[in-house]
Amino acid sequence: MSDSSLELPEAAVRRLESSAFSSGLTVPDFAACLDLGLQPVGLVQGFCVMRWGWYGAGSGYMRGMNPYAPGQQNNSGYAETYRCPHGFVSNEHRMWGQNLEQTWVEEAWSEGYGSAYRRMLDEAVSLGAHGVIGVTDRVNPLADTGTTEFHFLGTAVKVEDGPPPAGGVPWTTYLAGQRLTKSIEAGFMPVAVVATMASVRVWAYCMTEYLMEGSRGWGGPTSPYEVEQVSKAHMAVRQLARKQVRQQLSGDTLHGARIEVVNRELSQGDEVIDCTLRGNRMRRFKDFDDVPPPRPTVRLT
Amino acid sequence: MSANGAIDARAEMLSGAKSLAVASPPSRARGVTSDLSIDEALLLHGAGWEPVDLVCGVSVVSVPIGVWNWGQGEITVASVAHNAAVKGAADQLRDECIKVHGHGVVGVRVQVEVRTHHIDVELVGTAVRPIDAKNLPASPFVSDLSARDFTLLKGAGWMPVGLAFGASFAYAPRRSAGDVMKQKTQNIELTNFTEAMYSARESAMERMQRSALDVGGQGVVQVKVTEGPMHFARHAVGFTAWGTAVRLVAESHQFVQPQVILPLNDAVVAFEAQSLRST
Repeated sequence: MSDSSLELPEAAVRRLESSAFSSGLTVPDFAACLDLGLQPVGLVQGFCVMRWGWYGAGSGYMRGMNPYAPGQQNNSGYAETYRCPHGFVSNEHRMWGQNLEQTWVEEAWSEGYGSAYRRMLDEAVSLGAHGVIGVTDRVNPLADTGTTEFHFLGTAVKVEDGPPPAGGVPWTTYLAGQRLTKSIEAGFMPVAVVATMASVRVWAYCMTEYLMEGSRGWGGPTSPYEVEQVSKAHMAVRQLARKQVRQQLSGDTLHGARIEVVNRELSQGDEVIDCTLRGNRMRRFKDFDDVPPPRPTVRLT
Repeated sequence: MSANGAIDARAEMLSGAKSLAVASPPSRARGVTSDLSIDEALLLHGAGWEPVDLVCGVSVVSVPIGVWNWGQGEITVASVAHNAAVKGAADQLRDECIKVHGHGVVGVRVQVEVRTHHIDVELVGTAVRPIDAKNLPASPFVSDLSARDFTLLKGAGWMPVGLAFGASFAYAPRRSAGDVMKQKTQNIELTNFTEAMYSARESAMERMQRSALDVGGQGVVQVKVTEGPMHFARHAVGFTAWGTAVRLVAESHQFVQPQVILPLNDAVVAFEAQSLRST
């Protein structure tokens, strides 16, 4: 297996060396796959279990790291700072707030996701596959251990009479069956499944705290008011995810994108916003054929 | 494509595999992102449009303390906060669409969360534009219609112009102790309840229609209405109504004449291999 990866379990070796193939495809998808000239060669999977470390002092996680003190931060990502308009009120008063991209969380997520993905590809390569279709990926907490498991599953296929992909790295896609057929017929060849995660931590300053807790306290307005810091953090995390995905596209197209946002409220306006974006990276290998105008129909059933 | 015009999927697959057999040179071109399905992308293309980019809009608006306490009539502050949050998110979405040179956003997913002290609105959709479009529109449209519905609407001579939204929150009315005692053994209409709910519903719909007019719409299609008590304040009921504001751009409505079909499938046949192929 490739860099920093593990040896395959013995059972996996025996399964992959077996003369019978296995596949995660449904019967309709299996039939469509054969129709496309794709020969299933085996069910492949990849795992990685990551532990989220203690984000203590120095990691940029703990409150108390004043953004105004020089040399305190070493974060190359998005950061936006907010300053209290009231001056010194009390020690509890939040004199500053910050939206900070948690690059270390994003890197850890990418490492876990990438390792599991590479392990799935390793299995596919060992089967001599050209591609992996019907990929599913799950990112789940593993029991109650403070760990996260990344799991990939897909069906490795060979293109009948087709050449191996460049560099011997199989192409991958979430699609299978009729949807894959339509994509191919439309001139889009799957390149890879792509996914990225962006994470932004919101440290609320006094105004955000008041607004998110019900507009009270020092100068807190008593009418509806846009919570600028939180709105900006939400927009930023989505923009970061899209920017990161676009960097993986190299001019190709992302089809069927799915954007998921998880918001963990910590306290009094403080929160962590994680945004995951995944989809199929597709490459145009021919121009669109003219699609006949669709004909509206009414079913008499 | 084969001689009879049908696409040879196997040959196309082979062409696709050959295109990946050679390493592509690194490209700095901006990739297209879209949450459309392949069916929707093909339909859009058939109508002369293409996806440009995935776009988002988010707005979080505060609700002051004490707003949800017992009272009478409409909870105006909450209604204002809700409408402000939707407008803020729609403006963000439109700004993102302009940045990527889109002419509008289709398939917008609307997610609204009403909390005790803030209302969060998230809009996500795909910016689209006519293929080979040169000029940008003055203001791109925002629509929660799917690409399929957009294509159908366009074919009928109409265009979406914006998202129409209206919300109204009201206190469930209280009866006096005397009324409660008097009505305990009666089967009667609680007219104050009826009137309050009726009025709140109408307010939400009226606001939706007004917002449609504000963006230059002549009507609203695919209106969704939600209602229900707030989970944190059971005595307060929220009503929302939203849809896509549309405008006739052709000289007159183009009649879409659907072909009537009567499927003769045997209901017992659950799987038919031929149905796997697109036609």
